[in-house]
Amino acid sequence: MSRERGRTPDPRRFDLGGGALGVFEPSHDVPLVSIVFALRGGSALDPAGKSGLARLALRMLRRGCEGMTAEEIDFRIDSLGAEMAVDTSSSTVGVHAQVIARNVDAFVDLLTRLLSTPAFPLDQLDRLKRETIAEIVEARDNDRVVAQKALQRTLFEGHAYGNNAGGTTQTVAAVTRDDVVAFCRRYLVRGNVVVGLAGDVTEDRATALAARLAQALAPGSAAPDDVPEPRPRAGRYLLVVDKPNRTQTQMVVGALGTSPGDDDHVALVVANAVFGGTFTSRLMREIRSKRGWAYGASSRAAIDRHRQAWVMSTFPSAQDCGPCLNLAIQLLDAWVTEGVTRREVAFIQRYLVRSHAFDVDTAAKRLHQALDVELFGLPGDYFSAWTDHVRAVTPESANAAIRNRIRPSDLLAVVVGTASQVLDPLREAIPDLAGASVVPFDAE
Amino acid sequence: MAARTSTKDPSAALRSWADEASRDKPEGARLVLEGAEAFGGETLRRWKLGNGLTVLVLVDSRAPVVAYHTWFRVGSRHERPGKTGLAHLFEHLMFGETEHLGAGVFDRKLEESGAETNAATWVDWTYYHELLPADRIKLAVTLEAERMQHLVLREPQVQSEKEVVANERRFRVEDDVEGLANEVLYKTAFVRHPLHWPTIGWMEDIGGFTPDDCAAFYRTYYAPNNATVVVVGDVRERDLLVAIRDAYGGIPRAVIPTEDVVPEGPQLGERRAEVTKPTASEKVVVAFKGPALGDADHCALTVLSEVLFGGRASRLYRSLVIDRELAIDARGWVSTFRDPGLFECWVTARGDHTGAEILPLLDEAFARVREDVVAEDELTRAKARLELGSLQQLETASGKAEQIGFFDTVLGDPAHAFRRVDAFRRTSAADLRRVARRYLVDSERTVLRVLREPPSAAGEAAP
Repeated sequence: MSRERGRTPDPRRFDLGGGALGVFEPSHDVPLVSIVFALRGGSALDPAGKSGLARLALRMLRRGCEGMTAEEIDFRIDSLGAEMAVDTSSSTVGVHAQVIARNVDAFVDLLTRLLSTPAFPLDQLDRLKRETIAEIVEARDNDRVVAQKALQRTLFEGHAYGNNAGGTTQTVAAVTRDDVVAFCRRYLVRGNVVVGLAGDVTEDRATALAARLAQALAPGSAAPDDVPEPRPRAGRYLLVVDKPNRTQTQMVVGALGTSPGDDDHVALVVANAVFGGTFTSRLMREIRSKRGWAYGASSRAAIDRHRQAWVMSTFPSAQDCGPCLNLAIQLLDAWVTEGVTRREVAFIQRYLVRSHAFDVDTAAKRLHQALDVELFGLPGDYFSAWTDHVRAVTPESANAAIRNRIRPSDLLAVVVGTASQVLDPLREAIPDLAGASVVPFDAE
Repeated sequence: MAARTSTKDPSAALRSWADEASRDKPEGARLVLEGAEAFGGETLRRWKLGNGLTVLVLVDSRAPVVAYHTWFRVGSRHERPGKTGLAHLFEHLMFGETEHLGAGVFDRKLEESGAETNAATWVDWTYYHELLPADRIKLAVTLEAERMQHLVLREPQVQSEKEVVANERRFRVEDDVEGLANEVLYKTAFVRHPLHWPTIGWMEDIGGFTPDDCAAFYRTYYAPNNATVVVVGDVRERDLLVAIRDAYGGIPRAVIPTEDVVPEGPQLGERRAEVTKPTASEKVVVAFKGPALGDADHCALTVLSEVLFGGRASRLYRSLVIDRELAIDARGWVSTFRDPGLFECWVTARGDHTGAEILPLLDEAFARVREDVVAEDELTRAKARLELGSLQQLETASGKAEQIGFFDTVLGDPAHAFRRVDAFRRTSAADLRRVARRYLVDSERTVLRVLREPPSAAGEAAP
């Protein structure tokens, strides 16, 4: 019933001078404008013992500038009908904002002022550090977050990808004002920034607004990507994160996955979708639909500049955790050794190609894709030719990608639960287990 | 020369088209255009099938996608003690086998078309939603009509979903501090009204459901005259309506029971409750009895909540989180139920600070808004934040469909989202003081504290 539509054009990219890049995607559907101000390099840049620095440094931007206190800045942001937050990953850290369109000029005025005259008041940094530490402690209430953090730091132990982007209570406490100033002097510079706008603003105005933001910064060069390629952990390990009185477990099983630069990257993404990417995938069907052991079960291959984690996750009751983990590992073994079928690949290709419409149905989504290409070093046509890439995958290439990238012999299983109840069944659930340990949930 | 203007009325043309499309059709399949109204810059039309099915259509061609929502006017308010959680269990069962679709086929057909689907249940409603590539809209029409009339409810399906829901309850309530606190809060604040029990149901009730319970519920509430289909997206309206007429027109009406909800009645004294959990931080919740969503005071109390709790510059966030560093979070919410609910004020203490330290400061802030008028700049700030939030809910086809379906189901007013924005704009400082005096009444509140269990003693290496 719909009309034929042409391919959505890519967001417009423009040079902002001094190495800064601008990206713009228009939409006049709703009177809102999204603004992203992102740096090349994220938590992977954090010095040893100071994880969380990149995030703290950008959060300090709204804690005082020339002529405005933190309180005045907060009030001004709200009064303009805007919101502003800092988003951090291993490879980028940025300010993400949205504002009612009629106030976009005033909001960019404010943002320009924050970028060009940050004060980094010491008392505000101390407050922010205490606030951040309290947030880290509070996050321990969320078992899923506890499991994911434990997996990331253990799977990538000793590597920059093991840094917690938000930091730990110890590393946040160790950050000084000098660290924040040095980070901003080095990385909050024109040559290291990508400015994106999307929404209800004309192209001419968007270009001018982006230029004003970039010009608020001092000249400087892009951050180098000197993160080494992660290496897999050898053997099967179990880490139980002990938390009292759990009726349920949060279970994540991870291994080294894929990088967007890999020749077989899209093939692995397609194969993963068969395994745990949809409601009718193998994991969901076996764990939830057939046995009712958990409300959900899924797997995903994260993307970054280098190889990131491949993770499957579920959350069975404490009583079912052993059989559930054992089944998940059996399914994984079968996925690697027997592969996926021609029928499964054809089915999931139809899903991935047709659902692509929802990846690009708003200007903000199209903007973020363009920014990801730039910030994660993705191939230029990663998103724009995504459906072609997916269609090109064959059962043979999907199965080769699984065998090439996923090693079932090198797995890390992290389970948040009550150790006295779950440790023994979990140990028995993992064939060829090389080692197991228990840590308290509030250790980090 | 005056510009020529068209006098053609699109509604008149559609009415005559509907008459033609209904000719020689059974009564249940006859289409009637009941009305049209502005929804932002677009036109939302209300259609009715002869069997009572309401269809709300908003054509939006800006992206090649379509949101298809089916809202049933049934939720946990229609349950009774001993059978709590049935509406929510039913939401799960609706993804199961039907007479013409085997187990799992519903989801596979949608996934194969690239669609996303899910559902939600609350006090006043249950809704099912699909987001599809626009050229797949007929699939949603066919599948939703199928499960509205041909669901299979046998012991294996019911037993398996009871297990899944029990696990969902462990995830959302038993092992979730806020989930449990929320459950205890409503259980304490309401003693007669169905808000007393959780939508997911008590664990012992979930385990007790039989296929007969489910079949009776299905026959009673899953009928076209108890449902509204909302379609937002890149569709040709007439083609869509023909597809809906053909798929749903043969489904008979049901006799929807007259609602038997007991009003809560006045609360004559403060109620207190405590929960102890292995949590990192204490919490304190103060919940006043609040207005129904359709009450004229609801918007004013929402603005007051924003003054007190909305964002870093709000009074209580600034006082408790930023200045005094007693809390890690402070937030407020005026419940959006058809019947009067709660104005919930949640504060999570920081470190070793306690709810006992925080409660007097909350009381001080509540007393202040009862006594003094809110400054104009604070009011402007709160309204700007609410306008931003309202606009953000209209960014996607799904967001629009959700707003339309929710407000139509609860208030019978599908474009109410825009009326709320207007009401926020009109709200004055005097309105805020009035609602503060009316609702922030100590004898009509419930105070809940979440206390910490002793810290973990775990941590030894496993042998």
